Amino acid sequence: MGLTIVGVNHRTAPIDLRERFHVPPEEIPRAIDRLLGEETVEECALLSTCNRTECYLWATPTGPGEEAAARLLAERAGLEASRVGRYVYRWRDEEAVLHLFRVAAGLDSMVVGEPQIQGQVEDAYRTAREARPGAVGHVLHRLFQSALAAGGRVRSETAVGEGAASVPAAAVQLVLKVFGSLEGRRALVIGAGEMGEAILQGLLDRGVGEAVVASRTLARSRETAGRLGEDRVRAAPYLDVPEELRGVDVVLTSTSAPHPVVTTEALQAARGGEKRELVIVDIALPRDVEPAVGDLPGVFLYNIDDLQAVVNATEEARQAEGREAENLLREDVEAFQGWLLARQAVPLIREIRRSAEEVRAEAMLEALEGIEGLSEADRERILGASRLVVHKLLHAPTVALRELAGEPGGADHLEIARRLFALDGRARDGARIDEGMDEDDDERG
Amino acid sequence: MIFALHLAALAGYAAAWGFLARAFRTGGGSQESVGWWTAVGAVLVHVLGLAWFVVRYRTFPLVGLGPASSTLALAIALLTLGAAVQQERRPAALFVLPVVVVLMALAVSVGLQPVLLRSAFRGPWFVLHVAMVFVGCAGLVLASAAGAMYVLQFRALKRKRFGSVFRFFPSLDVLDRLNRLGLLVGFPGLTVGLIAGWSWTLTYGRGLALGDPQVAFGVVTWLAYLVAIVARMSPDWRGERAAFVSTGAFVVSVLTFLVLRVVIVGPESVFL
Repeated sequence: MGLTIVGVNHRTAPIDLRERFHVPPEEIPRAIDRLLGEETVEECALLSTCNRTECYLWATPTGPGEEAAARLLAERAGLEASRVGRYVYRWRDEEAVLHLFRVAAGLDSMVVGEPQIQGQVEDAYRTAREARPGAVGHVLHRLFQSALAAGGRVRSETAVGEGAASVPAAAVQLVLKVFGSLEGRRALVIGAGEMGEAILQGLLDRGVGEAVVASRTLARSRETAGRLGEDRVRAAPYLDVPEELRGVDVVLTSTSAPHPVVTTEALQAARGGEKRELVIVDIALPRDVEPAVGDLPGVFLYNIDDLQAVVNATEEARQAEGREAENLLREDVEAFQGWLLARQAVPLIREIRRSAEEVRAEAMLEALEGIEGLSEADRERILGASRLVVHKLLHAPTVALRELAGEPGGADHLEIARRLFALDGRARDGARIDEGMDEDDDERG
Repeated sequence: MIFALHLAALAGYAAAWGFLARAFRTGGGSQESVGWWTAVGAVLVHVLGLAWFVVRYRTFPLVGLGPASSTLALAIALLTLGAAVQQERRPAALFVLPVVVVLMALAVSVGLQPVLLRSAFRGPWFVLHVAMVFVGCAGLVLASAAGAMYVLQFRALKRKRFGSVFRFFPSLDVLDRLNRLGLLVGFPGLTVGLIAGWSWTLTYGRGLALGDPQVAFGVVTWLAYLVAIVARMSPDWRGERAAFVSTGAFVVSVLTFLVLRVVIVGPESVFL
């Protein structure tokens, strides 16, 4: 058995194809059922977001399960199986583990370090568990838990998730860098596009006390205020803008006016020589605010290019931190691989114990048959002692096997153990081993 | 042991600064908290070192270049730690720790032996005087560090440079509050320290000798503080200008000290 990931993401497929590969949440259980229907697939989970669709399999490597996953993706995209290969990637074993860990940490995301993916990975795990009993067994459970823990570690120990990764977030970050806290601050929104609304929502989430929306028509302003919550957002007529500029802390402009809406003179008149901080975010094209406004004391003026520059700077910093994060993930991948190898020792240990128990039972049966007058209690005592001897003799090798299996070269260690305990079908039978030992002992004696 | 503890504290402060500098370069991350907790550890070791000094020599480490530098370094570190309990203020340690490291390096290099004191250098007035002057100096260091960071952050925001300063430094508001805190703690501390010093000299029948280098240093620093506070209160000087003045006050104070210490007083003085 081995881990396999079959999937597509934003690097391998354009958005129109990713949309077709996407598996909606309500269809995931059926897809999992279908993959588990393959004989070689023991465990299965499926992650489908706007940037990726991936099947996680604990199955026979390069077996029919892997092909079934590729077929599933091809069918969803409406492509022939032979054509899907150029979009689909396959990761196996250690590389598969590293891939999921990178995904959970946000290192494989379009915007490096974005936090949503952590929740999406968790959802994929939960959906698979609930889809069918046994879909997530020991291996995928451990894999997803380790991936989520690794993702959390990367976020807490590196700056990979810090900074603003979108234009609205960049606007909020700029405002926060001036004011620190937005509690009790006043915002004025001139014009109301989608972006302006998203920025205002971000400011409201951060505690802006009062916001005023002034669009071209009062009806539209009221509509926007209603959407954002009328308890804190008020609609105002467009003509009241000069009045509303007084005492405001943040101004967002996003009108489609062909001329500046906020001029230096108008702002100076509104501020009346005031020098306290005012942040103006102008996301309109052509710009709504005269560039000279930015030279006024206390005024911080940003346009859409500035917001994009913040996003780019964040992206660069996150890329740099991503390299540090990769090193952390390597450690976590090694730990998981160690667990996986140690787990592979379990069937062997079980086999050793079964074999030892057979030898013990056979030998004891033979021995006890030759003793006459033995009470049932004495017989039980002797059998108990023999079980204890076997258990004690096997304890140390069992512990050592678990440890050795998790170390580099673990598979070789397991093979050696298999041969040492005569489980490879080539060893001598128990009687001959006993005889040989007696001979050796006699020679030494 | 006193020397070893001081050396360990110095290493701790330097390491903490290293972590913070790395966090500054990368824009934050775990290095910031590692740096912060390393600084906390260094402070604990430092406290132990000075406590050992008190127990061993039965005197406070307030006189003599080594012991006084160490105590001043601790006052600065403690004030910064106290002020930066709020996580958002912690990057300020990036600017404060170099001062602490320099003072500790000075203490370790000149030695931590107590100076043989005349009886005049004992007693509660003297202890109060030196301790409060140190509080005043610590406040000034914090205020100037916050002021310098304010100026840098202000310029990054105004000139739209979204690099390490923008990412790592706190907001202007936080830096402004930190600057105010430094002044609010430091100025009364220095004022009380100077008054206590004056009272102390009066008990020995001496007045306020402005020609005395120590008195001159205290008065110049107090005046620099006063200018910084007035600048903060003036509506025309708020924000960047006030922050600039706070940093300037620190520079004036340090230059005054260096001139008096090196040129006028001479290396053998017990001054500081």
